[in-house]
Amino acid sequence: MTAATETGSGLPAEWRVRLPVFEGPLDLLLHLVRVNEVEISDIPVTLICDQFHEYLGLMEELDLDVAAEYLYEAALLIQLKSRMLLPRRADGDEPEEDPRQELVERLLEYRRLKEASQSLAEIHGLRMGIWTREPDLPDADPDERLDLGEVSLYDLLKAFGQVIERYDREHPHALRLAVETWSVRKQFDRLLERLAPARPIDLLDDLRRRSSRGEAVAAFLAVLELLRLRLVRLHGTGAGELLLYRTDRAVSDEERESVPS
Amino acid sequence: MTEQAEIEAVVEAVLFAANEPIGEPRLLELFPDDDRKRVLAAVDAVLERYAERPNRGVMAERVAGGVRLATRPELAGWLRRFFDIRGRQRLSMAALETLAIVAYRQPVSGPEIQELRGVNSSAVLKTLLERRLIRIAGRKPVVGKPFLYATTREFLVQFGLSSLQDLPPLEEFEELAQPGSGRAVEEAAASSE
Repeated sequence: MTAATETGSGLPAEWRVRLPVFEGPLDLLLHLVRVNEVEISDIPVTLICDQFHEYLGLMEELDLDVAAEYLYEAALLIQLKSRMLLPRRADGDEPEEDPRQELVERLLEYRRLKEASQSLAEIHGLRMGIWTREPDLPDADPDERLDLGEVSLYDLLKAFGQVIERYDREHPHALRLAVETWSVRKQFDRLLERLAPARPIDLLDDLRRRSSRGEAVAAFLAVLELLRLRLVRLHGTGAGELLLYRTDRAVSDEERESVPS
Repeated sequence: MTEQAEIEAVVEAVLFAANEPIGEPRLLELFPDDDRKRVLAAVDAVLERYAERPNRGVMAERVAGGVRLATRPELAGWLRRFFDIRGRQRLSMAALETLAIVAYRQPVSGPEIQELRGVNSSAVLKTLLERRLIRIAGRKPVVGKPFLYATTREFLVQFGLSSLQDLPPLEEFEELAQPGSGRAVEEAAASSE
């Protein structure tokens, strides 16, 4: 890294006061290609490599965290620079592969995506000014009213993460005396038993009441099994609850056997 | 058979009362089969009636495979003032880059996104998931089984796209690149020999 500041490869002077912020090493490389007015397809590796390192040096001087991705790219550039210095074999009919080829392709691909994201940004900026009516609750049957949105796998995992986090906060680790084992199938049976047709269970509330982390995990897995077998439906409410409803389906012995015991 | 004028009125009323884009199939269900042509014509007529005009506050637009009524973007400043709301939260450039990758390469895994952007993108992916612009679309059957990401209907709505086919083709962004850059590389290699 120190080598970079010594080379003084001629970064534009204003850089020393105004350090642009880049989205990542590829963004920085594209910027260097632009300010040096060189072709992506014919990058002067030594110049770009030196300027890249100089920029990293500046970041360090300013005590900015040089992310690992930049260091990785810097190492790739040094490797490329050394490969460019090696004499190439002139024999054979096959056209010599340019060592820069891979970098060129990555930069072109990244530039395309950058252009695409800039046009998305423009659309986004314009469309943020469009207003529609707020979804209001249809005053149909109260059960339907709760069905405000689909619950995605992501919502579910996030909710469970919160339960575990809260559990750990409220139950600091104490002396462990025995290893507990919890059966997913037992939780499965218990939940099915408790789920009356019209009475939903608040999933998060239920999980929080479990006596241990292990039990909560087993119960959560049981809920996933219930969902898989379509024995329950999950609805999210505006208040952030996840309500578990029993569906009309009956459970077969075979299905029950498929749940890990 | 229903009168054209009446169908137009119904379509307009449905769009006004609905709070999501309504697709033609749902409107067709309302009427007998032999009204089909008139229903489709009515939708077009309502779209035309609410086309963006300077003297209109509301416009009809096609998004996410349906039609909806919404305010014209030019009026955002007035509405913000009236409802006393400051600017909504914009997406960061990192989020837009990641969103562009998901939109154009879906379904795409986290490691693939990282490879294309050159930086770790997991925090940005989380933001996009929370804003419901992308969703988890399964797992890639490779080592580590990374999640695959795809865009949502909400993405189409927020970006005013009727379907994913409406995304500008990625090749369009090529025009800035030099034509035949591959050839240029070969020439450069040849001349350096």
